Amino acid sequence: MESFISKALVKKDLTDIVRSKTLLITMIAIPILFTVLFPALLMGSALFFDLEEIAGEDGRKLVSVFAGSSMGSAVSAYSLEQQMTYIFINYMLPTLFLLVPIITAMTVAANSFVGEKERRTLESLLFAPVSIHKLFLSKVAASFIPPFLVSIISFLVCGIIINVLGYPLFRELIFPSANWIVLITCLSPMVILLVVLVNIVISSKVKTYQEAQNIGGVIVLPVVGMLVGQISGLFLLGVGLILIISLGVLLVNLMLWHRISKHNDRFALFEKQIH
Amino acid sequence: METLIEVNGLAKSFGKQLVLKNVNFRVKKGEIIGLLGPNGAGKTTFIRLLNGVIKSDSGLVRVKGLDPAQNGDEIRKISGIVTESAGLYHQLSGKENLEFFAGLYGVKDKGRVEGLLELFDLKEHQHKQAGKYSTGMRKRLALAKALLHKPEILFLDEPTNGLDPDGIEQVLSYLKKYNEETGTTIIICSHVLHQLEKICDSFAFIEQGTIAEQGTLAELEEKYVEVLTVNVNTTFQPAQGEFLGYPCRIISGNMVAFDLPSKHAIPELLQGLLQTDPIFSVIPANNDLQSIYFQVRRKFNGIVHQ
Repeated sequence: MESFISKALVKKDLTDIVRSKTLLITMIAIPILFTVLFPALLMGSALFFDLEEIAGEDGRKLVSVFAGSSMGSAVSAYSLEQQMTYIFINYMLPTLFLLVPIITAMTVAANSFVGEKERRTLESLLFAPVSIHKLFLSKVAASFIPPFLVSIISFLVCGIIINVLGYPLFRELIFPSANWIVLITCLSPMVILLVVLVNIVISSKVKTYQEAQNIGGVIVLPVVGMLVGQISGLFLLGVGLILIISLGVLLVNLMLWHRISKHNDRFALFEKQIH
Repeated sequence: METLIEVNGLAKSFGKQLVLKNVNFRVKKGEIIGLLGPNGAGKTTFIRLLNGVIKSDSGLVRVKGLDPAQNGDEIRKISGIVTESAGLYHQLSGKENLEFFAGLYGVKDKGRVEGLLELFDLKEHQHKQAGKYSTGMRKRLALAKALLHKPEILFLDEPTNGLDPDGIEQVLSYLKKYNEETGTTIIICSHVLHQLEKICDSFAFIEQGTIAEQGTLAELEEKYVEVLTVNVNTTFQPAQGEFLGYPCRIISGNMVAFDLPSKHAIPELLQGLLQTDPIFSVIPANNDLQSIYFQVRRKFNGIVHQ
C-alpha cells in the first residue's frame, strides 16, 4: 500500500527547519518567554514580594469569583497569595502556554509552500512523481512535529520551574493539575493541527511568506479572547471546557483534513505559484 | 525508430495571453533534440505541458503513449528535468539534495547518489551546502538530480547557462555519452546554438508559440540554404566578381567568399582554384545551425538578422 506521506519530504522539511535561523529562533524564544520567564516571574514574585498588594483590588476580585465557582474547593484551604498564584498557574498560564504551539506551528506551516516557492524549489517538487495530496499531507506532518515537540518540552520545563519555585510557597507539588493534563494531551495537539492545516492551505495560495504570516496570524485571536475572558472573570477554563473546545477543534480539523486529502489539483497550484 | 513524444494541435493560454498555438511536434525514442527559440517563445511552457504539471487548452499530447494531463505521475516517473533555476535546496548539502530527491523518486539503489557525485566531480564538495556551490557545480548537481532515477526522457532547460567553456564542454559531452550508452531521449532548450549543433540529432524551432520548423541539420540545410557561401583562404584574387560561374568577392586579405548552389559544387570549385593557387582552408559560412535558425525565423515572421 502506498504511504500517505513522503518520508523524504518530511525529513527534508525538518532538516530545513532546524537549519533556518529565523524558524529556530522563533521556536526557542517563544517557549522561553511563555513557559520560562512568565512562570518564573510570577513564582519569584510570590516568593519575594507581597503578591496581594501587587495584584490589588482587581486581583482580589478575580480570586473571589474563582472561590465562588465550582472549582473553588480546590483552593479553599490556601491563603490569598497561594490562591492568586494557583489561579494564575492553572487558569491563566495554560491559555498563555497555548500561544507557544500556536506561534511555532504558524511560523513553520506558513513557510511550508510559499517558502518553497520563494526559494524556487516548489517547481522541483511539482515535477516529481508525488501526488499533490501526498505533498500536502507530508507538509502537514513536517509542520506538526516541531511545534508538538516544542510544546511537550515547554510543558516539562514549565512544570519543573513551577514546582521548584512553588514548593516553598505551597509545600507540595502543584503541577500538573488536571487542567494542564487535558491541555497538553487534548487541546494543544488539536490546536497545533488546526493552525498547521489552516496555515498550509494559506501558504499554498499566497505569494509571499510575509503574506502567509499576516493572514495566518488571525488564528491567535480566539486564544486572546480566551485570555481576556478569564482575566475579566467571564469564564474559567476548567477541564470540561477544555475538553469541549478540544472536541470542537477536532471536528474542524477533520473537515479540513478531509478537504486537503481530496485536494489534487497540481495544475492550479503550479499555475498559481510558478512563473 | 519508435515515436516517444507526439503532439498535435496543442494550444495553451494564461488568461488572455495565448502562449502556445497549434503546436505539432515529434520526438523519436533515443534521439537528442534541440528546442530552439527566442525568450518568451513558449519553450518552458511546452516542457511543463509535456510533464503534465500544467494543462493544455486543446490538442493532443502523448508521451510514451500516455496523456500528461491524465497520467502525469507515470510520465514524471520516467522523466528527469533540469529547470532553469536548478530547483535545489541551498541549505542542504549536495549529497543531502541528491538523497532527498532519490527518496522522492523512489530510488532504491543506495550507490546511485555516490555514483553520480563521483561522475559529476562533486565528491569532494558533497558535504558543502548547495547554496555555496559555484554555478557550474550547481548545474552539475541539478543534472545529477535529474538522472537519479535513470529516466527514459531528459528535459533540460538551458543546462549550460552560467557555465564556463570547460563546464559547457564537460556537460555536453557527458550528455552525448549518456545518450549513446543508455538510449535516453533528451530534449534540450538552449540559446547557445553552436553548442547544440555538436550533440543534437535534430532540432525544433519554436517561434511565437508554435513549432515553426523541425528536422535534422541536413534536412534543414536542404530546405533553407538556397545559396551556400564558402569562405576560402587562398592566394587567388578574383579579377571579376565570379569564378567558374560562381559569384565571389574578397572578404579580407587572402579570404575569398564564393556563393555556390549547393555543397556538391565545392569539389569543382576547389579543383578549379588549385590549378593556379594554393588553398589553406575552406569554411562553409551559412549552413551552420545559427544561420539556419535565423533563416527559419526570417521566413516565419520576417525578422531580419545577420
